[in-house]
Amino acid sequence: MIKIDKVIKNYQNGETEVKALRGVSLEIQKGEFTSIAGPSGSGKTTLLNLIGCIDKLDLGEISIKGEKVSSMNKKEKTSFRRQNLGFIFQTYNLIPVLSAYENVAFVLSLLDVSEKDVHTRTMNVLKEVGLEGMEDRKPAKLSGGQQQRVAIARALVKDPEIVLADEPTANLDSTTGEDILKLMKSMNEKLGTTFIFSTHDPMVMDYAGRIVLLHDGLIKSDKNRR
Amino acid sequence: MKFLISLAFKNLTRYRRRTLITAGAIAVGIMMFIMIDSMLRGAEYESVRNLKWYETASARIYNSEYWENRHQMPLDINITDYKEKVQKLEEKGYTAAPRISFSGELILNVIDFGEDGSMPIEVTAIDPQRDFEVFHFKDTLVEGRFLQPGEDGILLGSWFAEDIGAKVGAWVTVVTRGNGGFYQSMDLEIVGILNCPNPNVNRSLLMMPISTASDYLEMEGAATEINIRLADNANVKAETAKIKSITGNNSLSVYSWEDLAFDFLAIAEAKRGGSSMILVLIFIIAAVGISNTMLMAIFERTRELGMMRALGMSDSSIRLTFMFEAMGIGLIGSIMGVTLGICINFYVVNVGFDFGFMLRDIDIGYRIQSVMRGVWNFDTTAIAFLAGIIITTIVALLPTRRALRMDIPSCLRS
Repeated sequence: MIKIDKVIKNYQNGETEVKALRGVSLEIQKGEFTSIAGPSGSGKTTLLNLIGCIDKLDLGEISIKGEKVSSMNKKEKTSFRRQNLGFIFQTYNLIPVLSAYENVAFVLSLLDVSEKDVHTRTMNVLKEVGLEGMEDRKPAKLSGGQQQRVAIARALVKDPEIVLADEPTANLDSTTGEDILKLMKSMNEKLGTTFIFSTHDPMVMDYAGRIVLLHDGLIKSDKNRR
Repeated sequence: MKFLISLAFKNLTRYRRRTLITAGAIAVGIMMFIMIDSMLRGAEYESVRNLKWYETASARIYNSEYWENRHQMPLDINITDYKEKVQKLEEKGYTAAPRISFSGELILNVIDFGEDGSMPIEVTAIDPQRDFEVFHFKDTLVEGRFLQPGEDGILLGSWFAEDIGAKVGAWVTVVTRGNGGFYQSMDLEIVGILNCPNPNVNRSLLMMPISTASDYLEMEGAATEINIRLADNANVKAETAKIKSITGNNSLSVYSWEDLAFDFLAIAEAKRGGSSMILVLIFIIAAVGISNTMLMAIFERTRELGMMRALGMSDSSIRLTFMFEAMGIGLIGSIMGVTLGICINFYVVNVGFDFGFMLRDIDIGYRIQSVMRGVWNFDTTAIAFLAGIIITTIVALLPTRRALRMDIPSCLRS
């Protein structure tokens, strides 16, 4: 489903050139629950950004569902993300002026979905993530775990085939973090959605079906734990 | 689209104080625009009225050769047998008043003025029975009485009288050259003082009866001009053409008040240009404020922008969201500005600002003596309202463009 071929990505940090990815090759199959692990600066987020079509690579190729996303232009990438990818961020990134319901429904408003469908799908996904009855609450009135649940609902509401999560539990305490991972895992099993998430937390890695360990921009190990 | 509008509206409430302060800046700009425009239009309207009422009338007939030599005020280039011409005009329904205008020297004596002195003057000799039908001096008498036909009397403008220390009952001597070039002197008693709303007239007005002037200057039934009053809504150009045909005399020319007041009209035009520049500056200041607010709003939400872009929101939709937000600020500012502008304009139209302390000694071109009043203008209010919204929306584009130039990972990291 996802094919990453000899990807190189460098970026400038002031006057220094940082070699974030130095020829990474990887294949991820549909329905996998994959963790991109590694210490800070190993290239986890860079790899996730490249798979998520929100960054440009320097060399190599990335294909998703047979489409060469690495050679798409800005507009095509935006459209591809809108149709196929869900994102979960470390800091939730919810819109503070919108309710939980509106934060989730917002994603569907970008697609050609009828108002009735928007309502049904949003309510269903909020129920799935355990936020039934909290639809009208603004992010400020929700706990960190509940906010991340809204973010998961937002990522899943459009039924994407791939969900990318950048350190989804880093801002949560361990119990809440585990709850979130269990939720992601259950969604992965129930919906067959491919989850790729970055982490450097061993507890989080325990939940992954596959762990791709990055070190200094290179894959150090790739273990399938099933 | 519905979502974008709803999001923009909700974002307006996110920083209520900032939204209100920015809208306040726009409101002040719009209020100033409405107020200044009202005052300028009012000043122009009142000046035109005071010009016609006290200076130029609606139209004037001169001997065709007089216009080129008008600054010398020649008595020999005149309208002969003016009575017949006035009668002809009156028969056709026009209100007309003859005048003799001449220059001379005013001699002041030590008994009435405390010291001897003289000064150059311009005197207007009027027909007391007809002049008030064309001009509006009737209500301007503040001291003494009006002129009687044939008397050796003179009326002064109040500022002029104040400047020379003249009192009713005092005598002055006017020395001039009569029709034909001979020297003539006239001893005239100050019979009244007029306070005319036209400062140019009030500063220099000296009026005497036309019959007295005619005798002294040997005009033999001639006048230097015939002034005509037209209805306020009259088509001056068409009327001057008609008047010309009534006089049926090629040696006479008819001038509209616009011809006679071309200097005022040129100044008014220049003032309008200058005032527009000030108004543009006011709007630029407001626009910079809005741009700054939008810049802050956008950069505070960079991560949110990154998230929206990552989820597939197009740049144009994001741009539209910020434009709707700016439009909302503009709308609030415009409503506040127009409301404030209307409230202030009530005062400006009904009471006005008294600039008498300044206008007494400085000629600013407008024919207003002291109180500057405004006028209502729906077009200006509508333009100000729309400009507030449109300018605000446009200035939001620049900061949005800057934010959209950042790559998504940088936005998410910020």
